[in-house]
Amino acid sequence: MHIAEGFLPPAHAVGWTLAAAPFVVHGARRVATEVRERPENTLLLGAAGAFTFVLSAIKLPSFTGSSSHPTGTGAGAVLFRPPVMALLGTIVLLFQALLLAHGGLTTLGANVVAFAVVGPWAGYGAYRLTRRVGGGLLPGVFAAMVVADLATYVTTAAQLALALPDAETGIAGALVKFLSVFALTQVPLALGEGLLGVLLFRALTANARPELERLGLLAPAPEPAR
Amino acid sequence: MTGLAVDDAAWASTWRRRSPADKLLLSGGLVVCALALPAWPGSVLVGLTAVVLALGPARVPARTFGRAVRWPLAFIAVGTLTSVVTVGADGLGWAPDAAARAGSLAGHALAGSAAVLLLATTTPMADLLPELRRLRVPAAVVEVAAVTYRLLFVLLAGLRTIREAQTARMGYSTLRHSYRSSGALAAAVLTRSWDRARRMQEGLAGRGMETGLRVLPEVLPSSRAFLAATAAGLAALVSLSLAVA
Repeated sequence: MHIAEGFLPPAHAVGWTLAAAPFVVHGARRVATEVRERPENTLLLGAAGAFTFVLSAIKLPSFTGSSSHPTGTGAGAVLFRPPVMALLGTIVLLFQALLLAHGGLTTLGANVVAFAVVGPWAGYGAYRLTRRVGGGLLPGVFAAMVVADLATYVTTAAQLALALPDAETGIAGALVKFLSVFALTQVPLALGEGLLGVLLFRALTANARPELERLGLLAPAPEPAR
Repeated sequence: MTGLAVDDAAWASTWRRRSPADKLLLSGGLVVCALALPAWPGSVLVGLTAVVLALGPARVPARTFGRAVRWPLAFIAVGTLTSVVTVGADGLGWAPDAAARAGSLAGHALAGSAAVLLLATTTPMADLLPELRRLRVPAAVVEVAAVTYRLLFVLLAGLRTIREAQTARMGYSTLRHSYRSSGALAAAVLTRSWDRARRMQEGLAGRGMETGLRVLPEVLPSSRAFLAATAAGLAALVSLSLAVA
């Protein structure tokens, strides 16, 4: 659910762009440092960006009958950490705007705040919290995916409500309207994406354990599994 | 065929050889006009200009353009409707100036989307990324974006092949199977992307990659006539909109 080009008034478009800027600049600095220290990271980060983009091409069967596509920001935040996701998310949103006509250029800032900043941070927070209270990798990933999706959806609804307040009930009324309209697709999508995340990480634990260990998601010494 | 219709259109467009900076100026100008000018007649003029330029001189297939507009159209329709419906004590109703508000909102958004699409269907990402360098985006970031652009087609092709194989094996026959297959598909694409990145890195390291990925950008010279026409067209658009509004 990307905000389409021209949907936000100019002042809001500029405001959200300014709000997104520090996170994107921080992410860019982080990426620039990583690439300077280890040039080969350029390819790994590019691959991560391409994966995030391609993930949106996976159609997810929804419980309500329609099909939606996952946003993947929760998985990205767990795999690559939120600061890096702020930059990768921005690149992916730019590509989606220019390759799929999904989102826009003046609304890029607002979409970056929802998809590449709030979503990944909320998802990562949920992941860390789940791990801290003793949850394993898979419950953590489920929480990250669901929370990232829901946080993104609530943020987008809030952005729309601020820009288009209701004639009678104002911003609060508009927020309720946008939340309930988009809940029809976004809440089932969030649960579906959580499930997809669990299946994804289960497959990764079986087939790509060394990579997960290198990313620090699994302890190096596996338990009796082998 | 790369698999993304807008990208295919961009490579095949007759404006492909024009300077990306020129096209950025034109589309950027139209986007700003779509946002800042009053919906009537500004948005209508901007939308028409973008569509006529894309389908006319730039020779973008009408079908591609039409299909690409579907995504924003769905969002604009739902968003606009939601914003002009009010929920009061006596149930649902229209906002007082519902028609005008909806027209203005949808007009700005459609015109803006058409203007962005004009850029997207005439300028491949590979031409736009070097422009980011000129806007002082760090080289490392542009390189990551360039690798992303090049890898995503490889991954998309892999994704389609795997999905075809899964479908042929009844992988999407039930909801349960669909989820299992989608999870396996995402995992396969991710491990493939890591594998690709590692192999490319080894290949590049063998060729002495030390200072990043250097490629020779294509020289696409700017056209004075195009810039003059852009400036004149935008000026005419602004004055006409302000005169009528």
